[in-house]
Amino acid sequence: MTSTIAAPDGRTAPSFPASPDAHLSAEPTRATLRVQSRMLAATRAFLTGQGFQELLPPVIGPVTDPGIRGSKQVDIDFYGHKYKLMTSAILYKQASLLAFDKIFYIAPNVRLEPLETAVTHRHLAEFHQIDVEIRDARRDDAMELAERLVAYVVAEVVREMPGDLELLGRDKDAFREVVRGAFGRTTHAAATADLVALGHPQDPGAEIDWEGEEILSAKSSRPFFVVDYPKGSRGFYDQEDAERRGVLRNFDLIAPEGYGELASGSEREHVYAALVTRMRETGENPAKYGWYLDLARRGIPASSGFGIGLERFTRYVTGRTAAWEASAYPKLPGVVSA
Amino acid sequence: MSAVLTAAGFPEEQVRHRARNGEAAVFPSLESYGTGLLGAAPAAHYPYDLLERARIVPPVFMPERLKKLIDLAREPLYTDVELDTVIGGFTSRLPLYVSAFGSTRVASRDLGEAAGRQAGRLGIPMVVGENVVPVNGYRASSGSGVSPLLGRIAAYTAAAGEEYGGVVVQQSTEDADAEVWNLVYSDPVSEPLLASGRLAFELKVGQGAKPGLGGLTVLGREAAGRVAEQYATDAVFGADTDAVLRISSPGTFTEEILRQQIRLMRNNFPRVRVWVKLHPGRDVALAAATAWAAGADSVTVDGAEGGTAWAPHAFLGQVGLPLGECLARIGPTGHCLLASGRMWEGGRATKALALGARAVGLGRAALLAVDEDADAGLVRLAESIALELRLLISSLGKYRANALDADDVLLPSGAAFASRTG
Repeated sequence: MTSTIAAPDGRTAPSFPASPDAHLSAEPTRATLRVQSRMLAATRAFLTGQGFQELLPPVIGPVTDPGIRGSKQVDIDFYGHKYKLMTSAILYKQASLLAFDKIFYIAPNVRLEPLETAVTHRHLAEFHQIDVEIRDARRDDAMELAERLVAYVVAEVVREMPGDLELLGRDKDAFREVVRGAFGRTTHAAATADLVALGHPQDPGAEIDWEGEEILSAKSSRPFFVVDYPKGSRGFYDQEDAERRGVLRNFDLIAPEGYGELASGSEREHVYAALVTRMRETGENPAKYGWYLDLARRGIPASSGFGIGLERFTRYVTGRTAAWEASAYPKLPGVVSA
Repeated sequence: MSAVLTAAGFPEEQVRHRARNGEAAVFPSLESYGTGLLGAAPAAHYPYDLLERARIVPPVFMPERLKKLIDLAREPLYTDVELDTVIGGFTSRLPLYVSAFGSTRVASRDLGEAAGRQAGRLGIPMVVGENVVPVNGYRASSGSGVSPLLGRIAAYTAAAGEEYGGVVVQQSTEDADAEVWNLVYSDPVSEPLLASGRLAFELKVGQGAKPGLGGLTVLGREAAGRVAEQYATDAVFGADTDAVLRISSPGTFTEEILRQQIRLMRNNFPRVRVWVKLHPGRDVALAAATAWAAGADSVTVDGAEGGTAWAPHAFLGQVGLPLGECLARIGPTGHCLLASGRMWEGGRATKALALGARAVGLGRAALLAVDEDADAGLVRLAESIALELRLLISSLGKYRANALDADDVLLPSGAAFASRTG
């Protein structure tokens, strides 16, 4: 499980910079960050054009997303109380729908991922998400929005940043299907069966592992959604399908060419009793989630939403080998850096 | 005050003890806190203890002995019995493991580390109780040495070879806030065990000494104040003492919750083995089957005779299925079933193995052994049990620990019927 996962197109990842200046002053870094800036501007333009309200996300709170796959939270002492750095603003996204019907954050997250993720080229201990939530929306609404957003942002970069893409050696032809919004779809069960048939030992009851995601991604020439993850593979807020127990109303968006997962989203659980039960199923202590459950007891809206990992998205658009290359001050799991 | 009345034949002293001490009398004396190893009433007083009442019954005809004779081309001896086995995904030299100790002062750091070192030398798995972290912290402050959890893992790893044994770290839902598994999974201390596939996480559903009740410890009032955000307390020992009872709940379980928690463990921690520890509940067979179906590598049943920690008298004497009954209800299984509860000698261990257990856990016996001799007490205890196991298994005409089956024991009359209807 600790084997190094291949970079897209089998390229070798550059070594992690020894100092911030070596990284910051490199022309590819500067081009990547310019593209990223444009992607953010395009994201804001697209979402606000669709009537979304941008809110500033919280950085700390008494509770955050519980995290999966062994990622660890960072506790801070908040005047004698144990607070946490946000690993995801999901709970706050749901709460924010009490004020606005459609919201988004550009949210910083800190997740102390397990040490073995330092070699996946996709994991950062500090990263940002384009976090979107839509009141009374179904999963298909969220997926359609994610598809249009990604297509819009990529098209904007292709149109406006050809020089930087050329400098980075990124072939614009790779985006032909992306900008048309022609994304594929598959189910977790089908993706799992596909992997097993390819000889990859994927547990059908678990999240698709990092190597498996990479394999599926490398096989595809266009982005695709994986839907219907099994319960037990995701947090308590991904709603279980009422018609198909054990199946979640969620999705991942996988980039093509071996770049792997770009986004995760779902129809959200919002019913108080179901939330408490799901918390227990995921080994959580409901007492930790006091303010959130108080709100849920009084009623939080039904919603769907997603989060796009900004550095992963940038890596894909710019064709960089590792996600850390899309960060000015990258933090790799277990690596001490600026 | 002088007593006037007497009541011969009535548990007078216990009644007087309660009359004098009120709620505190529900528990063992506070003076024994931190030194007494609690557990159920002695077996002789325990009519339901199938393991004590069962007999090991060697056959006359022994085809397996003939096979061994052919293999060896000489008379097979008890020294030819092979005891190495696979316990919850780990290769173990003996069908033994060291059970988790309670978080009371009984299992102090020194004893815990001594147990870890000796278990490592023995090449048998060791379970570390999750309460070590919420009670004592994960990482010790600088200058105060290593934390109990990391210390035990480091002591074990340093003493163990690279092939046998493994470390099992518990967490229960009542201690979910401590996120012990997350901490351990990404700690460099764990890497040697992860790399060799010798780390497991154990979901603690319950424990033998207090089935259904959850953890209880006694804290001073100042310490209770420090953990007030995580734990509730109850002043059962009276307002005039410094001691308060730290109380909790073992977590809410349904079949679906157990199933999903195991699946989440497998999803979140793919590099570790998944163990589940059940208390001796009346539906233990269903719970074990649920855990295995969800993918648990191992299920441990802690019989009502088990426990090292602080527990009320009523639980020690009257609550939970005895281990033998648990094993009878679960029946033969192809899965890894582990058993603990008053294990300290080979006869009881042999019966548990014959009734379906893959290995047996040493709890109080291990603590007492390391308390007696921190360097070799546990090693000597394990060696003595291994000798008895070899003698007994050989007497049954078998030469591997996992070759035992239900025919090798005679249960008290009526026990099998009770099991079938249980």
